[in-house]
Amino acid sequence: MTAEHPPRDRHGDGAVERTRPDGGLADPPDPSSAAVIRGEDVVKEYRTGGQTIRALKGIDFRIDPADSVAIVGPSGSGKSTLLNLLGLLDVPTEGEIRLRGEDVAGLSTGERTRERKRTIGFVFQSYYLIPTLTALENVEMPRMLDRTPRRTRERATELLERVGLGDRLDHYPDELSGGQKQRVAIARSLVNDPEILLADEPTGNLDRDTGDRILDLFEELRTDEGVAVVTVTHDAYVAEAADRVVDLIDGELREETAATRADGEGGGEGEP
Amino acid sequence: MRANRDRRATSPGWWRVSRLHRVAAYVPTLLLARRNVSRATARSALAVVAVVIGVVAIGAIGTGGEAFKQDQLEAYEGFGGTATVNPVFYPDEEDPDPHFSREEIDRMRQAAEGATVLPVVQSFGSLVRGPSGEVLVTAQVKGLEDPGSFYGTANGTIPDNWRRSVVVGSRVADDNDIEPGDQMTVVVDGQFERTFRVAAVLQPQGFADPLRADQSVFVPLAQFEDPEYGEAIVRVDPATGSVDEAATDIEEEFNSRRRTVDVERVQQQREQFEASFETINQFLIGVGAISLLVAAVTIANTLLMSAIEREGEIGVMRAVGYGRWDVTRLLVAEATVLGVVGGAIGAPLALGIGAAINAVLVGDPLAFTPAGLRYVGLGLAFGVLTALVAGVYPAWKAANKRPAEAFD
Repeated sequence: MTAEHPPRDRHGDGAVERTRPDGGLADPPDPSSAAVIRGEDVVKEYRTGGQTIRALKGIDFRIDPADSVAIVGPSGSGKSTLLNLLGLLDVPTEGEIRLRGEDVAGLSTGERTRERKRTIGFVFQSYYLIPTLTALENVEMPRMLDRTPRRTRERATELLERVGLGDRLDHYPDELSGGQKQRVAIARSLVNDPEILLADEPTGNLDRDTGDRILDLFEELRTDEGVAVVTVTHDAYVAEAADRVVDLIDGELREETAATRADGEGGGEGEP
Repeated sequence: MRANRDRRATSPGWWRVSRLHRVAAYVPTLLLARRNVSRATARSALAVVAVVIGVVAIGAIGTGGEAFKQDQLEAYEGFGGTATVNPVFYPDEEDPDPHFSREEIDRMRQAAEGATVLPVVQSFGSLVRGPSGEVLVTAQVKGLEDPGSFYGTANGTIPDNWRRSVVVGSRVADDNDIEPGDQMTVVVDGQFERTFRVAAVLQPQGFADPLRADQSVFVPLAQFEDPEYGEAIVRVDPATGSVDEAATDIEEEFNSRRRTVDVERVQQQREQFEASFETINQFLIGVGAISLLVAAVTIANTLLMSAIEREGEIGVMRAVGYGRWDVTRLLVAEATVLGVVGGAIGAPLALGIGAAINAVLVGDPLAFTPAGLRYVGLGLAFGVLTALVAGVYPAWKAANKRPAEAFD
């Protein structure tokens, strides 16, 4: 399948097959379980200047508990858009996204914020830690306004110990290495016990060894706590670690099979 | 708990009063706000300075103005029960220099029962020479029955039966080094030219004195033949009577058919002064308030910049479940922290400046009036409020940025 699209020139229209393949992200690994989040025929359009850009062209997807999905694609393929939709940071232009069966379009901004807090943990390439807060306080941050300071502190301490930073609780971000910062960010994403962890290039700023440790941590969270991990990456190495790999090309999804995966290595060229 | 203590020891920033810190820890928004404010130290410091200037301007102008007012009003002390009575001048009539006769003074005394009526002879065609013969240009010659009943002496004594000496006002004495026992020559046109011994020098009276005693040389009425009273002073002890009543009585007596006398109470002048002072002071405080407006702009600018810089961070906060209102509150809290710190520095500064002005004008650095203190409080409240209001727009703007945009 990857053979159908050359590693470069991802933005050309002609080279890419338009039709949605059977299966794709819509196919659950276990059809009997209830999806945490599920999208049907999702279209997202942006208006820039006078132009309308169709970032997602009608895709279906489904994330189940303890899922492990890598979304792979070059820049401009709609990765960020999909991530924002999965993270309830945005709503689709057309189609439906259902969170535990409920259409998110029907939620108010405040309700979406609450659902996001309850369901989704975010990990970013550039960590986005707050520089004036210690590691511990950064992990506490999502729950700081909850008026349960003691429980929050216990939970945050526990999480930092879990990611191997039990001895760095009082360090400020600028006193931590990149891998340590990302581990703090992961601890932060887990403080509200999310069902889905959305990771945007989680190893993008890290060396291979450090990246490996982060990926191991994801795997551990998935198997131990049933957290679904969705990784958006252009790095085939990261994608390999996932159970399912989905190619996002020009706003459309294709699922890779085990057979085609060996060829997918070059998928990220051309992206910084 | 251990972590808490350690963190306090290593926390950065300049606002680290331990008790405030502990309070802030209970209010997470405040904790975050304080940390954020201490992040861009120079920028925050400049915003704080702007607030300090505003608070000091309002506070110092307010307390300083009050001190000035107190200083000026002190001059009216002791003249509260005093009024002057002058004949009304009609230019088309024969007498170009109207004055009261002895009978008219008696009528005044009868009309204003209980009041002391002191007739004054003001001779404009007069000249005073000092001990060494020089002419004292600014000194005015006035004939009075008994200045001791009206003024206290600073030096020397006024004889009981005062007929043969002069009494000198404080300003005349100071300017010309005149002391009791010196000789002075007084020339009054068409009346006399005589040399007198100085019996006493009066205490300073200030500008509110209707007779301007400080610039006068008082000559006993007995020295004038057929004296013409140009003015009369009416005085009522405020403890036993009312100068208002006495003034009304005199006006009824003399002005029933035609306005022949003009009664002016010193109290009226005081009220006029207070009214015009109030206007000027309000204007100055308005000018001070403009500096707070500038502070508001600075704070808004600081926060806008800060919000742009922290777009990603604010996006993360929105992503992890902070609502728009939470983010707004956080940034408004940051602005308010700037205002509170500015006020906390500005208010004591304003009090210090106020104390210095008090020391100069009133003689007591702690002579704050409730009104003066109110201005410091007003400046403080205005400073905090201005900062808060200035934070609202940048905060709302940052909070309403779609979180998704922060990550693209």
